[in-house]
Amino acid sequence: MKKLNYVFKNTFINMRRNPLLVIATMLAVLVSSFLVFTTLSARAIVENNTSRWQNGVHVVIFLDDRVTSTAHKQLQDTLENYPEVRMVEYFTKSEASDEFKSLFKDQPELLQEVDFDILPTSLRINLNDPADYQLIIERMDGNPAVREIRASGEAIERLLSLTNTLVLSATIFAALIAFAAFILIINTLRLTAYAKKKEIKIMRTIGASSTYIRLPFIFEAVFESLIGTSIAVGLGWGFIQYSKTSFIAESIFDIAISDSYLINLTLILLFSTIVFGFFASFVGIRKALND
Amino acid sequence: MIKLDNVSLVFQGGSVALSNVTTEISEGEFVYLIGHSGSGKSSLLKLLYKEFSPTKGDIEVVDMDVTSLPKWKIPLLRRKLGIVTQEPQLLEDRTTFENISFALEVLGFEEKEIDDKTSTLIDLVGLNESMYKFPSQLSGGEQTRACIARALASNPLVLLCDEPTGNLDPDLSIQIITLLEKINRAGTTVLMATHDSSIVNRRKKRVLQLKDGKLMSDVDQGRYV
Repeated sequence: MKKLNYVFKNTFINMRRNPLLVIATMLAVLVSSFLVFTTLSARAIVENNTSRWQNGVHVVIFLDDRVTSTAHKQLQDTLENYPEVRMVEYFTKSEASDEFKSLFKDQPELLQEVDFDILPTSLRINLNDPADYQLIIERMDGNPAVREIRASGEAIERLLSLTNTLVLSATIFAALIAFAAFILIINTLRLTAYAKKKEIKIMRTIGASSTYIRLPFIFEAVFESLIGTSIAVGLGWGFIQYSKTSFIAESIFDIAISDSYLINLTLILLFSTIVFGFFASFVGIRKALND
Repeated sequence: MIKLDNVSLVFQGGSVALSNVTTEISEGEFVYLIGHSGSGKSSLLKLLYKEFSPTKGDIEVVDMDVTSLPKWKIPLLRRKLGIVTQEPQLLEDRTTFENISFALEVLGFEEKEIDDKTSTLIDLVGLNESMYKFPSQLSGGEQTRACIARALASNPLVLLCDEPTGNLDPDLSIQIITLLEKINRAGTTVLMATHDSSIVNRRKKRVLQLKDGKLMSDVDQGRYV
């Protein structure tokens, strides 16, 4: 207990020696952890959203009205027999008109201008695996009953690709800042070790173990990292809560992310931070405390 | 208590610090280690508390095989030894009391014990009037006394002193020697390195003389020639 008191007391004495470096370290850890937290949360949100879209309609086949309804029915039967297809829904001209009216109900001028007769009948296809949309397009290519094919998979793929690029960029940036934090921690600890050179020498002479001498340094690195990450996680939670009611949620995404995901992410981040602090302190004082 | 068997120490680059030194010091002895600067006195002491490792030979200190002692066991060895260096190593931002209690704190004593033991040690080395002074306010002799008190914190079996009177005038040196003899009478084995012939010749103790890393003589009640 007495030794633990000594370790805690010295951790805070060490931190008081270089306040600016300590703050810089905490800020670097904070930015890095915030980026990791928000990036991973954002990826989860995008995945949730795209998964919802993927559960909807993946391919729409607009039918040529010059072809008989029997041909339309045959085409629907053919599609329903494909193993990749989960469900095919026949969408009539009148249903297309109703949908159009519903979508543009706020624009009466547009509704007055539109000739609803030009809206084609369509087959709306739901696939087991949305990635198979290309197969359907290939099979339907050249079919006389088909006027045009649209696949939402392309848009989803583009969005996922964009998200992955953003996640990768943010991860690289977070890693760079984490590296900066790592260097800062090492620097802070080395300065502290240098300032305490005499004290460390005396402790060695008295018979203090290496672990005992190292502990205040380890605690310092872990403590600084934990403070940075805790603030980052707090800000991350706050940002997500704000986003749920902000323009982002109204205009682009439903900010759908479970609390359990966020709690797991928080725990993983805090644990990683402790490991990070340990490793940084180990590297930082290895040379300074080498016996 | 201390055994050296054919011990040699050669530094990187080839300079020989000690060459085939063999000697033995029994429990309760007071032994002077003498020789000119560079004769190997400090190196021999550092071998005893495993600051250095011998190039050749075997060393045994307080029943521990120092030669093959693993790194993690060095603190255990040092807790059985008291080490006093020529330059008093005191923390400038702490008082005499705090400098001594620091050692007890590091060794894991309870607060009450630390206060009691520190007071006893301060009393033993005669620093009662200087216990709340900072090192910069202490004389050279007082600083050495504080270091001796700190070295005694762990109740060492052996006290290793490397030129503790090196920076002191003759009167203060005698006071320090008297203090060390008092500690020795209480049962602690003392090995003191010095190049001060006046001290050694007056005290009539066992004297080990080193020259160029070799043990030239080992004489009880010897003189520094």
